[in-house]
Amino acid sequence: MAERPRVDRSAAPPPGEAHPFRFPHFLRTRLPNGLAVVAARLAGLPLVSLELIAPAGAQYEPAESAGTATLTAGLLDEGTARRSALEIAATAERLGGYLTTGADWDVGYLSTGLLASHRREGLALLAEIAITPTFPDNEVERLRGLRISEIVRRRQDPATLADDRFQREVYRGSVYAQPLYGTEESIARLQRASLMSFYQGHYGFAGATLIAVGEFDPEDLLGEAEAAFGTAGPPGPAPARPEIRPIPLEGLRIHLVDRPGAAQTELRLGHVGIPRTHPDYLPLLVLNTLLGGKFTSRINLNLRERHGYTYGASSRFSSRQGPGPFAVQAAVETAAAAAAAREILHEMRRVREALVEPEELAETVGYIVGVFPYSLQTVGDVTRRLETMSVFGLPDDYYDHYLERVAAVTREDLREMARRHLDPERVAVVAVGPAEILEPQFEGMGPVTVWSPEGEPRAAQPLRAT
Amino acid sequence: MSSPATSLDLDLQRHTLGNGLKVVLRRQAELPLVAVNLWYHVGSKNERPGRTGFAHLFEHMLFQGSEHVGTNEHFRKIQEVGGVANGSTWYDRTNYYETVPAHELDLALWLESDRMGFFLPALTQQNLDNQRDVVMNERRQRVENQPYGRAGETLNELLFPADHPYHWPVIGYMEDIAAATLEDVRTFFRTYYTPSNAVISVVGDIEPAEALERVDAWFGDIPPGPAVPPVTLPRQVPQGEPRRQVLADDVRLPRVYLGFRAPAYGERAWYVGDLLASVLSGGKSSPLYRDLVYERQIAQDVGVSVGPQEAGGSFTLVATARSGVPADALEEALVGHLAAAAAKPPDEADFDRARNRLLTDYYSGLQRLETVADQLSQFATYFDDPAGGLTEGERYLDIAPRELMEYAAEHCAAPERVVVSIIPRKEG
Repeated sequence: MAERPRVDRSAAPPPGEAHPFRFPHFLRTRLPNGLAVVAARLAGLPLVSLELIAPAGAQYEPAESAGTATLTAGLLDEGTARRSALEIAATAERLGGYLTTGADWDVGYLSTGLLASHRREGLALLAEIAITPTFPDNEVERLRGLRISEIVRRRQDPATLADDRFQREVYRGSVYAQPLYGTEESIARLQRASLMSFYQGHYGFAGATLIAVGEFDPEDLLGEAEAAFGTAGPPGPAPARPEIRPIPLEGLRIHLVDRPGAAQTELRLGHVGIPRTHPDYLPLLVLNTLLGGKFTSRINLNLRERHGYTYGASSRFSSRQGPGPFAVQAAVETAAAAAAAREILHEMRRVREALVEPEELAETVGYIVGVFPYSLQTVGDVTRRLETMSVFGLPDDYYDHYLERVAAVTREDLREMARRHLDPERVAVVAVGPAEILEPQFEGMGPVTVWSPEGEPRAAQPLRAT
Repeated sequence: MSSPATSLDLDLQRHTLGNGLKVVLRRQAELPLVAVNLWYHVGSKNERPGRTGFAHLFEHMLFQGSEHVGTNEHFRKIQEVGGVANGSTWYDRTNYYETVPAHELDLALWLESDRMGFFLPALTQQNLDNQRDVVMNERRQRVENQPYGRAGETLNELLFPADHPYHWPVIGYMEDIAAATLEDVRTFFRTYYTPSNAVISVVGDIEPAEALERVDAWFGDIPPGPAVPPVTLPRQVPQGEPRRQVLADDVRLPRVYLGFRAPAYGERAWYVGDLLASVLSGGKSSPLYRDLVYERQIAQDVGVSVGPQEAGGSFTLVATARSGVPADALEEALVGHLAAAAAKPPDEADFDRARNRLLTDYYSGLQRLETVADQLSQFATYFDDPAGGLTEGERYLDIAPRELMEYAAEHCAAPERVVVSIIPRKEG
């Protein structure tokens, strides 16, 4: 090798010239039966991701029927006019594939990731389970039993207990308060007929989208999608989206879920946020990234690096069609639970009161802009972006202008976003851990309610004299 | 039988710097990114009893700054250009990695070379105290406050004798983490964090010859260190009868773990074991899922896996009981399936499914530059064969079904099992 060039270690080296990047090209079309099809080529490895989404999320569940959306989705691949549950699984898995069905708040989904050489068989299988599911009685009963056992299992998991309690408190009076997975009572009540009816009302192709990403020619894929999905499809228009209007929080409310002897405390703190379609979404994303959305965020540096209270703390505004939650989360040392909550509130107040430092904004924008190509490496990554565009009705050129819009956000915008969308005086604080140790810590912060892991409220215990 | 072939090109460059640092470079320019990945050949295997968890705590310390990089500046510098960075510790190695925009390669090399060459001047007691607290909270989060969280380490305590370095968990025991001193950190750094005990892989939108010059510019001056002391492993003898432990935990559903000693990672038998694990439990149509979850409905979930340890880890079966099903019933069912696997080769359909799924998993992983770089470093570190990291999927292609039967007979004999059962703690 030639003589070694000298390097200057005293400061970060200057960057080279940036290499160009564009969001992957994709094709979009609509089949005669109403199904939208989006296809993008991602070359390099012999893989394909196929996903069908439909307006069949849990937000559409009737009252008292929590779990309908996820259980309906779960039954789609448990029997079709041609195949039994095990035959469907064996077919998908022989293709080297993962077949997953499920539902979040907005949509129900059927997705498969498989070896590229098998994509036509994959499309045919997705079409079969989307169009001809039979909801066999024995499978309904089997999944019901599995689900109830799963609900029992979730109660032993402190992070899940914290999420569930947080959601119930923040979304009181609205469908978002219910657990996506349902409750033992609601799952026990669900009838095959109501699941069928949910399917018929929500999986119509008029409201659905097929997203395909991988190693193929997108023009070919559109033709193959038409062959597999074009002839038939569940009828019916897309359902109307419900209004989500939770009862507002009246102040700072503390909810302890008691796990005597627990080694640590799971902490959640936050309130209702905004819909993904809100015009403030992008500047708010920048604000949240600075506040709690990256390792060097204010909240993580405070709780982890300054105080050593936790292995990691983060915050996020969840993307939903309705107003998703703003939530801060951390697993903290029990002795420091209330102190950690106070630090989080302090950080929320600080971004509302003072402008952030110019360097902090530059670092945050630099992060969001620079990390964008990193977040588009896999067929799954690109599928998720295309899904976001579809679920939230974003224009086809959304990601072509995304980075310039992020770069245009100012410090004043961030303070304005904080004042509009962060409210440290009206938050739910949830702490899952030993109530006996937690309760005295929170004294004076706000009213405290203690819950059992089963969700029963417990009368507050008097403080001990010693 | 379908045998999907890869379209991956295997072009890469290798070099060893004068100080012993191995360099692997690969151009992959689909995205304007570069992944930088360092493996140091040191992990919890190099610790000793009473000082467990040190390799991992040390990994945390290496993010606390070096002579020219302030505390927390490592993450800050990487994140402000849109990079992603992390590190991880395993029994056999510790890795550090970042993916940054391709035009920021020098930034990543500056940071990594500064902590390899200039770490000690920045070391402070305050940083050590803070990271001990962080790691103790990490242990609480991952182990002590996690349902079934103690099972994994208990299984290894039974499977490996007390003087075997896989006996203790990578994260270490609480009292050992608390006991770490600054002098421990210094000694560990001087012993193990030398250029000749490391590999650096650079993968992405680069010109390999130019990138090699940059690596040499940043790392070439770091002085070589002494040879790393060898790890001695006690000879293992068959245990002859099952060993078991029952733990009461704050759980609602019992769970049973069955473990067996496994061959060394990289050996043909390791891949046979991995394929057997996938045959047994990979997917809803696998025999274990079909029988325990679907038909008899005694389990909530079931999984089988084999650990990639350099000196041979464990082949582990895990099943969570449905409400009301005792752990013993699951153990009996799992032992029965292993006996069946040892008696005849798997069905062709199960075999095909398992292999295709492993290939999908493998190629899915390689979609990420950081995984490609990690594979190159791994195969350079363990086998001096970085290219092997890009063809690992092919190791499954020439395995015959009857080898799975032979594996089960040789490595999963019932008397050699260790069993950890986690049962609900009695109320009150």
